[in-house]
Amino acid sequence: MNKQPISLRVLLCATIAFGATGASSQEAYDPMRPTVNPLGPAASITTAPAAELDPELGNLPVGLGAEDTYYQCIACHSTAIIRQQHLTDQRWDYLWTWMIEDQGMYEPDDETRDVILEYLKTHFSSER
Amino acid sequence: MTDKISKDDVIDIDTADEPVRRTFLKTTGLTALGAYVGMSIPFEGNLMALAQGMSEEDIMASKDGLILMSDRPLNAETPAHLLDSDVTPYEHFFVRNNGLVPDHALDMDAEGWTLTIDGEVDTPLELSLANLKEQFEVITQRLVLECGGNGRAYYNPGASGNQWTTGAVGCAEWTGVRLSDVLNAAGVKDSAVYTAHYGNDPHLSGDPEKDAISRGAPIEKAMAEGSMIAWEMNGEPIPAVHGFPLRVVIPGYPGSASQKFLTRIWLRDQVHDGAKMTGYSYRVPAYPIAPGTEVPEEDMVILTEMPVKSLITYPQSGTQTPTGQATEVRGHAWAGNGDVAAMDVSIDFGQTWIKATLESAKNKFTWQRFRADVTLPQAGYYEVWARATDLNGVEQPPVVPGWNPRGYGNNMQHRIAMIAT
Repeated sequence: MNKQPISLRVLLCATIAFGATGASSQEAYDPMRPTVNPLGPAASITTAPAAELDPELGNLPVGLGAEDTYYQCIACHSTAIIRQQHLTDQRWDYLWTWMIEDQGMYEPDDETRDVILEYLKTHFSSER
Repeated sequence: MTDKISKDDVIDIDTADEPVRRTFLKTTGLTALGAYVGMSIPFEGNLMALAQGMSEEDIMASKDGLILMSDRPLNAETPAHLLDSDVTPYEHFFVRNNGLVPDHALDMDAEGWTLTIDGEVDTPLELSLANLKEQFEVITQRLVLECGGNGRAYYNPGASGNQWTTGAVGCAEWTGVRLSDVLNAAGVKDSAVYTAHYGNDPHLSGDPEKDAISRGAPIEKAMAEGSMIAWEMNGEPIPAVHGFPLRVVIPGYPGSASQKFLTRIWLRDQVHDGAKMTGYSYRVPAYPIAPGTEVPEEDMVILTEMPVKSLITYPQSGTQTPTGQATEVRGHAWAGNGDVAAMDVSIDFGQTWIKATLESAKNKFTWQRFRADVTLPQAGYYEVWARATDLNGVEQPPVVPGWNPRGYGNNMQHRIAMIAT
């Protein structure tokens, strides 16, 4: 395979931890990388361990609710937009209602809704 | 995380016939393109994009070095160092779609296309592309288009939507007619207060009754200098993903006001309430709030003029430069309210500032070139910060400005790393 350098968007990948040191870390440092932006409010370097992603489910993190989430959401959009988010619980509740009332999302039974919202709030949260 | 994109992978896409391929794209999240989300897209030449009957995948293959944010809908941003040209070429122009790219655009087929002007007008008009070209003065303007959510990635807590960093902006040369000339031809009634723009791009749900997006502008803005209806981008028919064959351009406003695939402009006697005009979409709180605050919908107001902003486009962040020698730093500055008044850069984290030269604007609402020579005094790590000032003396802030639920209007100063050796 023809190897080329590529740019990786940290938020999309969610799990990258730059381990470089010394001169190489100095050169690789990007002051506009969102997760290490020292000027952003409450900015911090993500140290969470890498979550296992499920390629069968659009690379959503493995976990309870991943399958329900995948099939609920991909009727309209790919998982890429989900994987970028880090929202408050209240924003996820709002988005769910907006998807149904405004964007024509199919409304599942209450149990499925709870499973999906719990999954989203667990894996794509600004609170935990 | 360590995957590299090979050229072979990118051109090795499904070659089934078009209807099948598009259906596939619209019904599954596991597109071939989806595998590249979060990675830069290698340049595979424009030949593919110029071919008839291209798919959305082909479109992205014709974009060079963009970071793919989302494959359905298509959204991709441009790294700062690829925005160095005065006029952003097609292959480096960011992509922001709310719906799907319509088939007529993928086919580059404008046969029978008409634009309707109706509502609060004396004489409703139905104009073909030929009518537009013949009946009105044709103009060309360099206009910045920037997504309202550019910079959203820096808000914390996060704001929902694509996590644009700095690259949802570009400045193209648009050819078309003044929006005011067309509206005057129809006769604007005193009762007209807002435009409502419509296109034919399908809603993501596939529901034909839903608009993917339908936004507008106050009638005063629509009639003002800069606002236009365009059919060419950089001297070519507007490419599929940017709105073929016709789009409105409302410069200085969030890009979403510049409807693609334009079929109708309805003059309304009230503020437009179309798709993504209401709720939290393209709206900001009416008053200052703490980060993470829930704001009632009725307290959200429409985002209009984008704030003053700039981008360092040369050198690329992380570039090495000889200690004690002058190095040129350059980029662009723009403002939603028109021209930029001044430009400064800092090499000491904003403690002192160096005046940059600022070229005059070719036309209102274009971006303006700035240049400054910086000399890094000793070996080591430096950052270059850029700060633009608008005509009212308003400067870019060094930190993320007021948090808002959808993360709009982030005009914090852009910074690059420079290593003195």
